[in-house]
Amino acid sequence: MRALMKRFIFWPGWILGAVLLLFAGCNTEHAFVKKIAFKDSRSIMIEFAGELDADWAVDPAHYKAYEKRDPDVLLAIDKIMLSPDKKSVTVHFAEEINQKEPHIVGLAPIRSQGQDLGPALLSVKRLYIGELFSILIGAMLINNFVFTKYLGLCVFFGTSKKKNTAVGMGITFTLVMVASAMMSWFLYQFILKPFRLDFLQVVIFIGMVSLAVQAVDTVLRKVNPALFKAFGVYLVLVIANCIILAVPLTLASNEYSAWESLMLALGAGTGFLLALFLMSSARERLELADIPQTYRGLPIAFVTAGLFALAFMGFSGLAIF
Amino acid sequence: MAATKKTNTELVFNGILLENPIFRLALSMCPAVGLTTSIKNGLLLGSAVLFVQIFSSCTIAAIKNYIHPRIRIPTYTLTIATWVTVIDLVLAAYVPGAYKEMGIFVKLIVAFAIITMRLEAFACKNSVSASFWDGIGMGIGFLFGMVSIGFVRELLGAGTILGYDVLGFKPLLFFILPAAGFFCVGIMMAFFNYIEVVFNRRKERKQ
Amino acid sequence: MKEITRITIGLTLSCFFAALIMGAVFVVTDKPKKQNEHQHVQETMLGLLGYGSQKPAPQELKFYPVYRYIIEEKGTTYLGYMVPVKSADRETYELLMLTLEGSLVQRFPLKISPEHAVAVSERQNALKEVLPAPKTFAYQDQTVIARLGDKRVAYLLPGEFTGFKTFIRVMLALDPQFEIIGLEIMEHEEDPGLGAEIKQNYFKNQFKNKSFDRLKSLTVVKDPLPDDYRRYLDAADTINAGELETIRNQYRDKDIYALTGATISSRAVTNGTKNMVKRFAYRIKILDEVIAGKQIPALI
Repeated sequence: MRALMKRFIFWPGWILGAVLLLFAGCNTEHAFVKKIAFKDSRSIMIEFAGELDADWAVDPAHYKAYEKRDPDVLLAIDKIMLSPDKKSVTVHFAEEINQKEPHIVGLAPIRSQGQDLGPALLSVKRLYIGELFSILIGAMLINNFVFTKYLGLCVFFGTSKKKNTAVGMGITFTLVMVASAMMSWFLYQFILKPFRLDFLQVVIFIGMVSLAVQAVDTVLRKVNPALFKAFGVYLVLVIANCIILAVPLTLASNEYSAWESLMLALGAGTGFLLALFLMSSARERLELADIPQTYRGLPIAFVTAGLFALAFMGFSGLAIF
Repeated sequence: MAATKKTNTELVFNGILLENPIFRLALSMCPAVGLTTSIKNGLLLGSAVLFVQIFSSCTIAAIKNYIHPRIRIPTYTLTIATWVTVIDLVLAAYVPGAYKEMGIFVKLIVAFAIITMRLEAFACKNSVSASFWDGIGMGIGFLFGMVSIGFVRELLGAGTILGYDVLGFKPLLFFILPAAGFFCVGIMMAFFNYIEVVFNRRKERKQ
Repeated sequence: MKEITRITIGLTLSCFFAALIMGAVFVVTDKPKKQNEHQHVQETMLGLLGYGSQKPAPQELKFYPVYRYIIEEKGTTYLGYMVPVKSADRETYELLMLTLEGSLVQRFPLKISPEHAVAVSERQNALKEVLPAPKTFAYQDQTVIARLGDKRVAYLLPGEFTGFKTFIRVMLALDPQFEIIGLEIMEHEEDPGLGAEIKQNYFKNQFKNKSFDRLKSLTVVKDPLPDDYRRYLDAADTINAGELETIRNQYRDKDIYALTGATISSRAVTNGTKNMVKRFAYRIKILDEVIAGKQIPALI
């Protein structure tokens, strides 16, 4: 019986939780309100389950809107437009609204077909998954840790000579990155912050990294010896990588949540992998080229990296959500 | 590697020229590329690294007989982390303006390969005084590298030296961007290689 | 086995020792750190109002901070303003609890002096006495009102908003009609040479003399900064009085000229400043009405 319960609750429970979390943006707290979302830079659209009383719907006095963090500053409403089928309204504001902030819209008792359906307090925000995705893309492309933030260069130049080495290093690094970032987040939230031990950040995070490297080492040895043979040697190099310390420090100072930390770690790891792959491809070609003697080896690699960095600058300002 | 037979001054010059951490040993290139947008930044971080290097080298040299070989690396890391935290707190308290500009890099000194490698290669096998001078050499070499790159980038990118407007216009704004850091380090490395080639050629001719 | 125990003991001891050193340094450097912060803020505020080492501030100039809190009780949200008041010839604080619409619910006299009110923990304790559970409160922001004798001369708003990289902390000075007297960038993490140029005079001085109405529709334009405007922003004292007036009037109502290669940072500062002023003007109006209506002996 217990085993059955476990199987039933465990899997679907997590999936349901994840789905609910991801679709938090569409959450509405009133039975009659189907959906509420940002329409454009100056309006919010609300969909109802039934028809509204026209004169109730277009009266701005029945609507109250404010940004969640400033509940006392009520936003000035220009006008309300009712759709032809009377099932949705668009609230137009006198000034542009900042879509990056969650907003709250309060409705006076809703009147539909002569009936009073009670007041509603609805929250609108952009899809959480959009925010998570933008952190991921940010860490991977826009703020690529190697080309834009110039971290992890020693290891970068050391392992980018051949494609196999590079890809191996990248994958190992991503694994350790995710593991250590989650552990660091956990420690930061539950031990460092409550006890005001912020100044121990550096020591604790490096400790976490060593632990993570050790853990991945042991797990890999037992679970997949073949994989260990291929990637094991890079594990030691991971610890000398600046990025591995920069990510926990970033998520601590930005106070990221668990999901956001995961996205940051994933983005950092895959960004590093991408950088390594590109660099190794270029360097393999460079080996065959005719380069002046003083430039051979690292100097020309640096110049190549500079060109890549220039290219990656093109990503700055990219904003999907 | 056995204990070194070099004199103290030789150690210092070794760190600046022959085994310059940035240009010859190719260690700790992250700050060389990232924080050399002006001479002042390079100077500040270089001084911080100098401080951490000297103190860590001396500490490790002093306790080298008590370190168990299997926990070498964690011990080095612990020592470096302690000194980094100390300098982080001290800078924040007494030089807040400069500290704000160096931001996350001060905390990252822990991960700078140069300090760990130096401890591993030198401090754990030599006396405290030798480690002290080696630490100074390496630190000054690093500082010199940072300042020279910073000089080139600031002059060509912003037309200023230490904030004083020298040129009156900005020749190539590009040099302040991160990408230029890579270019500068690469070209200066090639320059140092060239110096070595010339040096070797002269030595050969003399023989 | 003995080996491992030795290693573990050795490592633990070293960690402990290291933590002791770091803890000691932390305790020693904490106070100077906070003092530095405080001094920096004071100097910036005086600088924005035009006072400094060349022109010392007059004796009658006094700063009165107002702290804003959000109070929650049983699901209802209230606004709390910690306002400096004059009571029996002493300067102390009162907490005004308002509904979100702006009507006064209750007044609580607080047992705290202006010197102690600067520290977050002291304010916390004083408020806990008058707002016991189930009420909870959270600090939002503060405004410093500068008075010369009995007259309000400026509002000083410290604020923080998102920049291109992470955050930008500013200190804004407004005159009683909400026209911008000056803008100072306190802290930022923008790129040096690009976004970091927001600290330069030729960017932040563009915000000077922008009236409240103009600010509401202020945007950023990507045109190059005209030379005479640049001279005016960088070193106004090198231009003679007549020309100064013409340049000021010419550019007074223009939009903000963006920084080269840092449009997003420029926009962040412009929008951030806009929001700060709009919100503040909205709130101070309500607060002033409450103070006047209930005749509270406020020192603002």
